[in-house]
Amino acid sequence: MLSRIRKRFRWARRLIGEIFYGMTVFDWVRGLRRQRGEIEQLFMLIAFGDLVGIPVLPPYYTLRLLPYVVPQINRWKRSLLRERDWTDLAELIEGVD
Amino acid sequence: MNTILVLIIAAIALYLGYGVYARSINRNVIQPDPKKACPAKMYMDGVDFIPASRNVLFGYQFKSIAALGPIIGPITAVQWGWLPALLWIILGTFFIGWVQDYGSMMMGVRRDGDTLGALSYKLISPRARNILMLFLYFYLLLIMGSFGNTVGKGLMVNPRVPFGMIAVTLMGILAGQMLYKWKRDIILTTVVTVLLSFVGIWISTLPAVSNFFSGLYGLPNSPVLFLTVTKAQFIGSLLVLLFCYLGSVMPIWSWAQPVNYVSFWIIALGMLGGVLGMLIWRPGMGDFPAFTSWTIGIGPLWPMLFVTIACGAISGWHSLVSTSGTARQLECETDALPVGGGAMFLEMVLAVISFLTATVAFGGLAGYKETLGKAAALGVFAEGLARFLDRLGVPHDFGVAYGSVFLTIMGLTIMQLAVRFMRVASAELAGDKVPVLKNVHVGTILALILTAIFVWVVPWLTIWVAFGAANQLMAGLALLLIALWLKDEGKRNTWALYPSLFMLITTIAALILLAYNQFKGVATAKTSQAAIAAVLVGIIAVVLVVAAAFLIVDGWKALQKRRPEAVEKAP
Repeated sequence: MLSRIRKRFRWARRLIGEIFYGMTVFDWVRGLRRQRGEIEQLFMLIAFGDLVGIPVLPPYYTLRLLPYVVPQINRWKRSLLRERDWTDLAELIEGVD
Repeated sequence: MNTILVLIIAAIALYLGYGVYARSINRNVIQPDPKKACPAKMYMDGVDFIPASRNVLFGYQFKSIAALGPIIGPITAVQWGWLPALLWIILGTFFIGWVQDYGSMMMGVRRDGDTLGALSYKLISPRARNILMLFLYFYLLLIMGSFGNTVGKGLMVNPRVPFGMIAVTLMGILAGQMLYKWKRDIILTTVVTVLLSFVGIWISTLPAVSNFFSGLYGLPNSPVLFLTVTKAQFIGSLLVLLFCYLGSVMPIWSWAQPVNYVSFWIIALGMLGGVLGMLIWRPGMGDFPAFTSWTIGIGPLWPMLFVTIACGAISGWHSLVSTSGTARQLECETDALPVGGGAMFLEMVLAVISFLTATVAFGGLAGYKETLGKAAALGVFAEGLARFLDRLGVPHDFGVAYGSVFLTIMGLTIMQLAVRFMRVASAELAGDKVPVLKNVHVGTILALILTAIFVWVVPWLTIWVAFGAANQLMAGLALLLIALWLKDEGKRNTWALYPSLFMLITTIAALILLAYNQFKGVATAKTSQAAIAAVLVGIIAVVLVVAAAFLIVDGWKALQKRRPEAVEKAP
């Protein structure tokens, strides 16, 4: 009985904690993640500069970076080519109504 | 009618709406599959698509949708009597509000996390997206005008507000520095900045500080500088525009985000205190009538009530946030109902609380009207909140200042981000033809000049109704998109199509009525300001109606195309 109450209490605490996290700093964390993601995409572009005809790194380093770049190539390509418009920014404006 | 009874009615609506109706649509029509990979996982790029837990997203969604709208709308609309306002808040959420939020979220999830712009391009026509973009710019302008008017010409004119508002903003900047530059702990940062914000609000009530602002504003009889704008209103609105400028051009981490964070605590604690005070006090509505008359100063009950209370019942803004923000972060499809639907029902509760602030805190219609006449809708909320906080032992003067700063900061944080949005929008809409608009400062200043025209020229109530109508029109269009998407998926779509038709007819009627009244007002305007205001709002209402008409015609054609071919009878 006591363990069940304790378990319930822990669940409720986690639930409230997560909702508060969502309301408060989640946006900041997302912003930081987004920045990191953008830097990584830039890195991919540099490493794979050959693809667009701008060889920034010597081919030796490009090859060394290949194992890191390959698993992400599809995501990167999609993210880079995805059509964007400024409604993408709507999420930045919180609590309009 | 007693406070507790209203809260019980809201709780029953919450149970039936979320627990029965929404769940049944979710289970029988949408049929979410928990095993299906969502865009957040499929396209995880560390930038836009990142999965997050549903509890976290619930908090994020609620914070993104709930602010001044569910507070101002109900307080203004109770002038028709408490019953129409309460019915629309509850039934609007029940049949339309959650449908839009949840529907647009599921549509985003099932259509690769597309934004509303891309969805209108794909589901309706290429022209639809361009019209939607233009529509959104006007919509943002109306947000800026109505909130700027409320904050700059209303709240900031109270000499007890500016210092508190400046203090909260400075604490927001300090929070950004503490976290990002000095790498301090988030709990320490929160405690320090929120406590100091409260000290700032308390200092703003001291006679020395309020006398300083009274002197600056030339109160009690602030001189008129131009049109009907007094010195106090001019300085107040300039302060607001300056804050918006800084919020738009400064890096988002150093200004807008941390200020939003600190203000969240100010707002959350105020709401908690207000609700506790209300529960302790449990006042009745006194002689507040259930229904006053069909036509009041704002206009006839239909269609005007349905645009006066926008957020809290149904709001188009939510569909933008649901598609471009939340839908790209859902871990699995089954999370869409608790996040999208749940947050909307919680917003309904917030609207009911502000409805109660207007109806029960003043002991009846007379007290409400007196406060509304003196200090408009937000003054009613600040005074009402102070009366609830009284029950917890909070001094009344501090309570009023707190309520006013609470609302000022709520409006300002949105305006800062809306200006940021507007400058990006103007650069994308006209940046190729007018390259100077791509400059950050030029785009921001253009947005602020347009805002200033609205704030200084157009009366608050007119612009609030125009904003509400644009917001509701947006909701109608989002519902039409949802109906089209459901048709594409071969699912029953009447639960989105009928609300869409209701919203479109109602809001277009409201906009036509608004435009008619404005143009009629030009002929009888006593001042040049009134004439300019009438022309300005009239033109915007017409532009919105024309834009909506194009979207509806294209949408209807798209819907017809999707109708199953009639089965030819065998000869």
